[in-house]
Amino acid sequence: MKAPKINSLRLLQISSGILILGLILEVVTLLWFHPLSFVLFAFVAAALIGLGILIYLAALALVAAPPDRQS
Amino acid sequence: MIGALICQIVLSIALATIFLFRPSLTSGTGWKIVAFIGLCVLPALCLIGGMNLHVQRSETTRFCTSCHVMVPYGRSLAIDDAAHLPAQHFQNHRVPADKACYSCHADYGIYGPLNDKMRGLTRLYLQYVSTAPDPAAIRIPGGFKNAQCLHCHQGARSFEENPIHTAMMDSLKSEQVSCLGSGCHDAAHDIANLSHQKFWNPGK
Repeated sequence: MKAPKINSLRLLQISSGILILGLILEVVTLLWFHPLSFVLFAFVAAALIGLGILIYLAALALVAAPPDRQS
Repeated sequence: MIGALICQIVLSIALATIFLFRPSLTSGTGWKIVAFIGLCVLPALCLIGGMNLHVQRSETTRFCTSCHVMVPYGRSLAIDDAAHLPAQHFQNHRVPADKACYSCHADYGIYGPLNDKMRGLTRLYLQYVSTAPDPAAIRIPGGFKNAQCLHCHQGARSFEENPIHTAMMDSLKSEQVSCLGSGCHDAAHDIANLSHQKFWNPGK
């Protein structure tokens, strides 16, 4: 029972870190008026934010998963 | 709008920072809800808002002319010649001045915005990775379509009642005769002769 809890907290931290990175990049692209800022947003910032959200949802799924019979 | 989006991003970063350093807070029900908002709802809204803003920004004249190869095209909008089609449209606000390029060059088809973005990315690739084209040598693949002109002009009284247009309307609609290449409106973005042109200065 304990191991998934620790893992979900770790996943939460990873998700937060990736989201922060993606969101900071998004702010940079919003303040930088250049064609490359669109590319940076679409391919890097959006990917990081999407990945962060997915990892958070994975952490949620891990917590909600039924306990293993063997543990 | 950009201010509100940045505030939303800052709030999202603040919440994510809390869970980066104190993930154990999520053991409480209230914090679980905060985590869901801070790590899922707000970032998703920031993503949608950012994409919306970037797409809107990519339609502006300033955005298009911020690319080096497009600078002379932007300059050609200020040519002081009533026969020069893009300049005439831009200077007389026949197209929104802040979206001058997009108004005439956007693909108004169902997958138009997606096609436009893909074309834009190809040009970025050429600019930064491959060899940047000579501005005067840039051509629209397949030529400039009459549909772009007809998108606004079709149905307009001055266009429909013009006897020349009326006589060749079917040919214009079927793209058999080009609005630009038929000898009628053939002065468009004359980049090669830009140095010989007189320019309109709105301040004077």
